[in-house]
Amino acid sequence: MRCVPIRTRERRANPGLLAGAIIIGILLTGCYSGGGPKRTIDGGSGGPGSLAGAPAVSYDVKRLDGQTDALSRYRGSVVVMNLWATWCPPCREEMPALQQLYRENKAKGVVVLGVDQGESAEAAGSFAREHGVTFPILLDADQQYGRSYAAVGLPTTVIVGRNGHVMRGIDGQLSLAQMREAVGPALRAQ
Amino acid sequence: MTSRQTALLIAVAAIGLTLAQDVRPGLDLYHTWQYAAAMTIAIILIVAYAWGARSGSDGRAGQWIALGLAGALTVAVGGLLSGLIGPDTITVNGSPGSVTPVPDLAAAAFFSPADPQTIARGDATVSLRRKGADAIAVPAGGRVFLGTSVVYLTSRPAAYIVAHDARGNRLTVTQPTNPTFLSPVLLFPQSQPLKDKSYPLDTFATPGIHRIARALFFSADDAQTFNHLGSRQPALVLSVDDDNGKSVGLSIVPSGRDVAVGDLHVAATLGTFPQLVVASAPHPAALIIGLLVFIGGVGGSFVGPRRSTSLRVPAAGL
Repeated sequence: MRCVPIRTRERRANPGLLAGAIIIGILLTGCYSGGGPKRTIDGGSGGPGSLAGAPAVSYDVKRLDGQTDALSRYRGSVVVMNLWATWCPPCREEMPALQQLYRENKAKGVVVLGVDQGESAEAAGSFAREHGVTFPILLDADQQYGRSYAAVGLPTTVIVGRNGHVMRGIDGQLSLAQMREAVGPALRAQ
Repeated sequence: MTSRQTALLIAVAAIGLTLAQDVRPGLDLYHTWQYAAAMTIAIILIVAYAWGARSGSDGRAGQWIALGLAGALTVAVGGLLSGLIGPDTITVNGSPGSVTPVPDLAAAAFFSPADPQTIARGDATVSLRRKGADAIAVPAGGRVFLGTSVVYLTSRPAAYIVAHDARGNRLTVTQPTNPTFLSPVLLFPQSQPLKDKSYPLDTFATPGIHRIARALFFSADDAQTFNHLGSRQPALVLSVDDDNGKSVGLSIVPSGRDVAVGDLHVAATLGTFPQLVVASAPHPAALIIGLLVFIGGVGGSFVGPRRSTSLRVPAAGL
C-alpha cells in the first residue's frame, strides 16, 4: 500500500472577481458625499441665567480685610453674590440697593457677597468705604468667579440657595424691588 | 499571486485602515467616499475568498484562513461603519473654569480653572460629565473611548493676562468680543496673516483705564525673529488703543515679563490650554478581538496542516 499526502491545487487570484468588487464598491459608496466639515462648539456664551440648578462653584480668594474667604463658606445661607468692578457705572448705582437688601435680610440668613473682578484691594476698599458697604467684599484677582458664572457683563448677580445650588443668575443692574423679588423664592425654599 | 495571498494582503490592508482610525483619529480621510469604497471592496473580496475557503476549496489551510478572515471582516466592517455613519469630528472649546455642553455625547465638558502656571505648563484638564454617571477625566495625550467615539485633547495657544495701571493698581481684564466676557485668559479664536504665515489673534480690554488691546501670539520659534528678546520665549505683540480707537502704543510682551504699553502695564504668561476633540472611531475592544481571531486563523493555517501531514490516505490506483 502506498500513501501520499493530501495536496490541494493553489487557486490563482481571479481578476474578474477583483474588478467586480471594485465596481460594486465604488457604486455602493460613490453616492456617499463624505462627512460634513469639522464642527466647532464654543462654550461660555450661555450667560448667568443658564446656570440655574447647577452646583455653585467656589474659589478661595482674599477678602478686603486680608482674610481668605469663599462662597462655599456660606453654605446654609441664602447668598446674593454680586460680581462688580469700580469702573462699572451700573455697579456703582446698584451698590446702595445691595447694602439695603443686606441690612433688611441679614437676620433672615441672607448673605450679600460683593465679588470685585480683578482689581486691587485699594481700589475696591476705597469704593466700599465711599458707598458705606458693610457686607463682605471678596477680591477675585483672577476673575475666577466671573469666568465660572458665565458673566456676560457687569454687574452680574447670582442667587445661591441654602443647598449650595444656583437658583438664579441675572445679568445687569437690579433695583431693590427686583433684588427682593429674586431673593424671595430662595428664602421660602427649605 | 494566489487568491489566498491576495485575500490576506487585502485583510491586512483593511485592518491597517481601520486601526488608523484609533491610532490617528479625527482625520477627514475616514469620512471620504474613497475610504468607504476601499473598505467596501476589501470586505467584498474577503467575503468572496472566505466563502469558498470555508468549505475546503483551498484545503485545510484555507479553512483556517477563512476563520482568520472572519476576524479581519469584523475589524473592516467596524472601520467602514465608523467612517460612514460615525459623527463628524467636533472640536469643543471652553475657557478655564467653564462648562460647554456636548450634545453629540449627551455630556458636558468641564474645563478646569487655570492660573498662569497651568497655562505655562499646558496641563489644564478637561472632564466629561454625563447625567447620572461619574465624571470621565480626559488625560492630556491620552484617549477615552465612548461608544463609537474617541475623545482626546489638543492644545491651543493661550495667554494669561495680568494688567496694571501706571500707579500699579490691578485692572479688570475683559473680552468684549469673546463668549467669556470676564476672563483674563486669551484663547486666540481668530488669526492674522502676516507675510506667508498666520498668527493667533485675540482682543482684550481694560475698562478701568479705557484701553483696548489686540494681541498677536508668536510661538518661541516665531519670536526668535525679535533678536533683542535674548531668550527663547513665546511673546505677544500688543497693539493698544483708547476707547476712541486712537493708538496708545505697540510693544512686544515676552512671556513672564511686565511690559508697559503707554499707561497700560501688561504681564502675559503664554502657553497652551486644551480643547476637546470628539471623533468617530471603532471601539478598540472589537478591533482587538477581530485582530486576535485573524492572527489565530493565520497561525492555524501554518500549524493545522503540518499536524495533518501524519494523516495519509491510500493513493489511488492500488
